[in-house]
Amino acid sequence: MTQSIHDSVTITGVHKKFGDFVAIHHASLTVRRGEVHAVIGENGAGKSTLMNILYGMFPPNAGQINVEGKDVSFNGPSEAIEAGIGMVHQHFKLVPSLSVAENIIIGSEPLTRQGLVDSKKAEVEAEALGRRFGLELDPRAIVSDLPVGLQQRVEILKALYRDARILILDEPTAVLTPQETRELFVTMRAFAESGRSIIFITHKLREVLAVADRISVMRQGRLLQTLDNQNVTAQQLASMMVGREVLLKVKKGKANAGETALEVLHLRANGQQGHAVLEDLSFSVRHGEIVALAGVQGNGQDEVVECIAGLRRAASGEIRIGGLKVGANPEANRNAGLAYIPADRGGLGLSLECAIWENMAVGHIDQFGSGPWFSPKAARDVCSRLISEFDIRGADPDKLAKALSGGNQQKVQLARELKRNAHLIIAEQPSQGVDIGSIESIHRTLVAMRDAGKAVFVVSADLDEVFSLSDRILVIYRGQIVADLNTYDTDLETVGRFMGGIESRTGQHMAEGHSHAH
Amino acid sequence: MPIKRTSAAGNAALLALRSMIAPMVAVAIALIVGGALVIALGDNPVEVYGTIVQGSLVGWPNFLVTLQTMTPLLFTGLAVAVAFRAGLWNIGAEGQLIMGALCSGIVGYAVELPRFIHLPLCLIAAMLGGAIWGLIPAVLRVKFRVNELVVCLMMNPIALLLSGWIAARVLKAPGPTNKLPDVLDSAGLTNFSVYSQVNAGFVIGLFLCILFAFINLRTKIGFQWRMIGLNPRFANYGGMQVERKALSVFLISAAIAGLGGAEQVLGQYHAFYDNFSPGYGFDGIAVAMLAGNNPIGVILAALLFGALNSGGVVLQMMTGLSKYLVQVLQFIIVLILSARFSWEWLKAQRVSVVEPQPQAEALPKNAETQEN
Repeated sequence: MTQSIHDSVTITGVHKKFGDFVAIHHASLTVRRGEVHAVIGENGAGKSTLMNILYGMFPPNAGQINVEGKDVSFNGPSEAIEAGIGMVHQHFKLVPSLSVAENIIIGSEPLTRQGLVDSKKAEVEAEALGRRFGLELDPRAIVSDLPVGLQQRVEILKALYRDARILILDEPTAVLTPQETRELFVTMRAFAESGRSIIFITHKLREVLAVADRISVMRQGRLLQTLDNQNVTAQQLASMMVGREVLLKVKKGKANAGETALEVLHLRANGQQGHAVLEDLSFSVRHGEIVALAGVQGNGQDEVVECIAGLRRAASGEIRIGGLKVGANPEANRNAGLAYIPADRGGLGLSLECAIWENMAVGHIDQFGSGPWFSPKAARDVCSRLISEFDIRGADPDKLAKALSGGNQQKVQLARELKRNAHLIIAEQPSQGVDIGSIESIHRTLVAMRDAGKAVFVVSADLDEVFSLSDRILVIYRGQIVADLNTYDTDLETVGRFMGGIESRTGQHMAEGHSHAH
Repeated sequence: MPIKRTSAAGNAALLALRSMIAPMVAVAIALIVGGALVIALGDNPVEVYGTIVQGSLVGWPNFLVTLQTMTPLLFTGLAVAVAFRAGLWNIGAEGQLIMGALCSGIVGYAVELPRFIHLPLCLIAAMLGGAIWGLIPAVLRVKFRVNELVVCLMMNPIALLLSGWIAARVLKAPGPTNKLPDVLDSAGLTNFSVYSQVNAGFVIGLFLCILFAFINLRTKIGFQWRMIGLNPRFANYGGMQVERKALSVFLISAAIAGLGGAEQVLGQYHAFYDNFSPGYGFDGIAVAMLAGNNPIGVILAALLFGALNSGGVVLQMMTGLSKYLVQVLQFIIVLILSARFSWEWLKAQRVSVVEPQPQAEALPKNAETQEN
């Protein structure tokens, strides 16, 4: 591959193995100066690994990397930063208790003549930097007080402070509202126009088409193709990512809603630090409908679900599942007819160090053996049946859960929860960390459950999923339901405005506070 | 396409074999290091180990002494293993053993009853004594999230000093020794042989280990303990009443340790003596670690440690090498096993930090492509 002066990064034949497993198969990629270059692929396709190699996190087994005309081989991120590469990770690497300016300068602090950190200079520089790139922030604000969208700005400024000319953004829109996403895209375009390059890692195809100049598609560790963003459709990209035709939108008929299955009335709950996170929240879900709870992460959706599942004690209010009043006892809530598919698969919904059959048995042990006796054989048999019924690839009852891919782990949870004859199904981020192929089948399963007359409650940060799956959309903002919309009568823009708190149904904000705290 | 599925039984056997590798390696390394030590002291390791084996396992008298020395370790090892398996770090078996011994020692001399009531009563008293001593760290842990390691560690010397005060002042038997009066014959555990103090307590310990192996594998509560130990949040999510079960398993663990105290008092010494335990509770931790918290493994590990101890005494008599050589071997085993724990913990940390998804994610897909 020839290096031209228009190229800022050239990756040639990079190969990476972890043990026997080949994570990257001889990938080659060229990023031009002044372009937004999207790298797309399913979870596990190798996008992050390739970018981590470029960022110096680990060395490749073979291949060459050329940055701005110089062959490089980094021994760590600090060398990559020196060469002009910046990376904003999906999970921010900020110090929450420090100020914006302190976070930006950390690691390359301006010093006074006495060798102390020059905090005044830091603040001035941070502010100037923000103004220059249209990312204005108060340099003295404490990071933990900032909303997620602004924390991301701090991350970007951190990279720019180190004079990054090549900026890698790893799934940057996962935590943003549609409006914030659009602002980010404007910033990205501005960078590109100033001659910098942006590598944008994502799996959201709509965003790729909106912002990228060129698109590279990865699948199973291979870099398949780099396309110009002209005359390509989301459908084509999806097929390329998965290697076969996929349905991006699940097919479903009209909902046929019946009796109320879940009723939440005037729910209040406090968060870990004792502050109020849910404020007089009420809603209901009926049999035969899929209701989605949309909202920017951290607005109380986790706490709502925890209260319904019995994992968190509500400060006040009432929750009824199938008419039965439930409290903070997971066993009682499950018996009342709840099936719950948590987002935190590794921590809450599965025990990764346990065999798959053990994971499938939890919550159902009463049926495996009479009285106090337990029959592992009965549990293994049921597990084998569910593995084939739910098409869980690469699974074996005795295999450890951690050996499965994210999508197949999700199917284990799904199989376990759906086989109980529950009338209320709560699916939390059902497609997070799940490959497109599995998303399709998971969505189909949820719709089938709806059609079988069950009440389905989906919590999702992904608006595409919310729209494709739900019949009704609830929007949560600062612990309150601010909108209850019919999916077929609304659009992304409206939902996004509610998510960002720009529009609210009641108009009044909730300052009255902590009346029922224990 | 090759047939990937193996039979469940085959898998289980394979898993059992694999779980034995680490303890075997630990013992092997300990023997090698110990051998080097013996060479450095100017002795022949083959002879020394031969003496230990001979002195502990060959011939009825030697073997019966080994059974005697392993008996308390059956109890304390099982107690620790049961708690560890449920994710509870009960390292207070020493204190629970002492309190169990004290209670059985008091009931053993203070009441006169027919044997078939008296002996069970003493055993129950020992279990209660251990359980009450375990109740404090258990409640603090389960209800108030106080680290049980620290509380257990503090409960151990309290038990030692409290029982010492009772044996030296409050209920002291006449005579120069700090002990309680001898237990009545109606409370004694039957002694099997004239060669050693091995008694019915050994059978009880063996039975308990087998019982708990069965409970672990074939009862719902045993399955739940394991799930709670591996991921308490998941267990709670699955409706297992984690708090209540954690409390009960802690008390069961403490009661087993207390019963170990009864074996010492009713079977070996026939009275409660101050400071009778050379640290059986702590050795129990090592036994449980070597056993991988498996009750059948506890029997094997207790046998190994028991044999080392009884063989060590013979070694000292025969060669003049200190019996503490075998303690060095035990410590090396523990050291290697702890190193393994730390290593695995570090490895888990590193994997989750650097490479969250790709490895686990793409493996099955890769397998698919190869098959196509």
